[in-house]
Amino acid sequence: MSVLSFFQQAGLNLRQFGNSFGSNLGDYIAGATRRTVPLPAGGETIPGVYLLGAGPGDPELLTRKGERLLRAADVVLYDNLVSPQVLALCRRSCQQIYVGKRAGQHAMPQAQINQLLVEYGRLSVTADKVIVRLKGGDPTIFGRVSEEAEALEQAGLRFAIVPGITSACAASAYSGIALTARGQATAVQFLTAQFADPSRQPDWHNYRYQYGNNPTLVVYMGLNRLNELCLGLMNVGWPGEMPVALLDQVSTDAQQQLTGNLADICARYACHQRGANPLLGPTLIVIGLVVSTPMAVSPALLKVPENLLQVF
Amino acid sequence: MQYLPIFTDLTGKAVLLVGGGHVALRKARALLDAGAVLSVVSHQFETDFHGWASQGRARLLPGDFQPAQISGHWLVIAATDDDAVNAAVHQAATARQVWVNTVDDQDKCEFIFPSIINRAPIQIAISSGGAAPVLVRRLREQLETLLPQHLGPLATLVGKFRKQVQQKLDNFAARRQFYEQVFSSKVVSLLQSGQPQAAEDTLEQMLDGHQPLRGEVFVVGAGPGDPELLTLKALQLMQQADVVVYDYLVSEPIMALVRRDAELICVGKKAGAHSVAQEETNALLVKLALEGKKVCRLKGGDPFIFGRGAEEIEVLLPHQIPFQVVPGITAAAGCAAYAGIPLTHRDYAQAVQFVTGHCQKDGKEPDWHSLSRPNQTLVIYMGLMKSAHIQAQLLAAGRAADTPVAILENGTRPEQRVFTGTLGQLAELIETHQVQSPALLVIGEVVALQAKLAWYGAQEPRAQLTPLHG
Repeated sequence: MSVLSFFQQAGLNLRQFGNSFGSNLGDYIAGATRRTVPLPAGGETIPGVYLLGAGPGDPELLTRKGERLLRAADVVLYDNLVSPQVLALCRRSCQQIYVGKRAGQHAMPQAQINQLLVEYGRLSVTADKVIVRLKGGDPTIFGRVSEEAEALEQAGLRFAIVPGITSACAASAYSGIALTARGQATAVQFLTAQFADPSRQPDWHNYRYQYGNNPTLVVYMGLNRLNELCLGLMNVGWPGEMPVALLDQVSTDAQQQLTGNLADICARYACHQRGANPLLGPTLIVIGLVVSTPMAVSPALLKVPENLLQVF
Repeated sequence: MQYLPIFTDLTGKAVLLVGGGHVALRKARALLDAGAVLSVVSHQFETDFHGWASQGRARLLPGDFQPAQISGHWLVIAATDDDAVNAAVHQAATARQVWVNTVDDQDKCEFIFPSIINRAPIQIAISSGGAAPVLVRRLREQLETLLPQHLGPLATLVGKFRKQVQQKLDNFAARRQFYEQVFSSKVVSLLQSGQPQAAEDTLEQMLDGHQPLRGEVFVVGAGPGDPELLTLKALQLMQQADVVVYDYLVSEPIMALVRRDAELICVGKKAGAHSVAQEETNALLVKLALEGKKVCRLKGGDPFIFGRGAEEIEVLLPHQIPFQVVPGITAAAGCAAYAGIPLTHRDYAQAVQFVTGHCQKDGKEPDWHSLSRPNQTLVIYMGLMKSAHIQAQLLAAGRAADTPVAILENGTRPEQRVFTGTLGQLAELIETHQVQSPALLVIGEVVALQAKLAWYGAQEPRAQLTPLHG
């Protein structure tokens, strides 16, 4: 088998391969075949702080910009929601700092993360370093990006926000539940149910049921408050038969889905958690008519190839 | 339709021809070629008729036409030079409900003979319904030169294998795909160069070794515009595709990344100027996939957020076409990030809602009350044209006039423009700055953070939240 066909069979993008080794090897091999994608050169990345969305879990859902920045990063501050395969893109010399947090178990308070980010961020000025703050999903949607951005802004540091695939979009694609569908939902609303502080309870009347005119609701970080959420909605007129889907670890190999309706999902969830394969989170809750008519997507097609780590 | 074209099987069927001159002779040839058995009524017969009579292919009935002669015939042709006789034939035939044609007299025709291009078994019939015979003749001449002579042998050859193909390939799509392959293989050139046996052998080999190509559809979100915001998965599939079906929201730098030899089909859509109806796009995807192609349906933003990706997938299901959906950075997330607007914020927005500014089909209004809640961010896709209406409805439903708004034009692209102001100024801002689509409207308290957090591209002057006039 020729070198070229070996790479092609392995599904490798030759130019990428070359880039990742900082050589023209990929170009050289690719020269024998048709033109491949011109990827941005890693060397061109400007020192600064990048607030980067890593997407929902599937490493292939990282953006090309994300890939470039991670390859160029000198320091990466990451949390739990970021998949190891994404982190594997970093150079060996890259300093990886875990600032993880997860519902209920904050590894590090936000203020401390902000402080750390500013400290490392200064290296972008003093030592021309590329600093990446890697966050699961999209930074502008429940990513608390504004707090980190404000801290950087106050410290006078240059930063950029790089969007990522927010979990709701991945959940939709990987489960076949269209978030907006003609005739079923003309709007979609993302909300968080992490209302630990009682004073931050949502004003349920804002969510009152409008016959046939409600947006699809996608609730982030709401599994711990599933009961309050369902009751709250039913109290403002949502019918108990309204379909609900719990989408766990979206876009990863461990993705699973539990469906029911507002009246029975809590019981189904409790029952499921006693089983062999409980939901481990992060879990999205999708509420709306669209849940009842999912398209038959084949998850097998979306599976990440075994050799992906090498591909990167 | 004036006439219904039908192809009739005349093999062994009796046809009555009234007339024995040269006009009748022309018709007789065509009918005999089709296998008809002729009865010919005339006082005099051209020589050929006698020959056919001796072969048993025609029966000659010398003398005057008698209406009773019509019985037992499937078709009647009046081809005499005597109008009175022709009229009598026509009347007698229609009275008995037998199809009749009177040569060169359309009024007395219950059926007509089309102009024919013959590549048997392929036949093409043309007619102008008598309106423009010369035009039809020219058309026929053009088609004659256009259609190669080996078309007939090709059809015959393929017909010979039809049963075998049916046995080997059990579904329609697979058979269709196989034939598509045959017609673009060397079977055709072999026939063309007069090697029918080699062509047949090749076809047989193709059938023996046939591995059906599996067509596939990738519904891929291309993100908001910046080509670096493509996901790695999207890029990979763009590189695998045989055909890329894209719309105008997909930026040029992104299109530059598709496989170079892929076929590109634009089904561009612009608000108010749909260039291809959704149904046509759906049908196109099915057609391409059934041809065994890998089809990348590339859509701006995310396929399932106002992307109508669902409708495109639904049509694939009955055909069992495999598909995958790759999410993309939806415009709201991409543009907000590049404009420095966090869509949610602990203090200012606990929820974010995406809606489309397009009218619904049934003209139903969205729930303006829910859209007007404070402390949530509202992102309106395709809202430019309806901005005045949106502004009025939100204000009427109680959203404060000083709620910050941002208009993000060409978000994430080098030509990105960001305008900010208040809800009370929304339509005016769009008018003043001549904002063009694609543009996104962001309404909510978080927009006020934009002045601080903006980082991308040329910024408008920072005094953004002060009224534009006075």
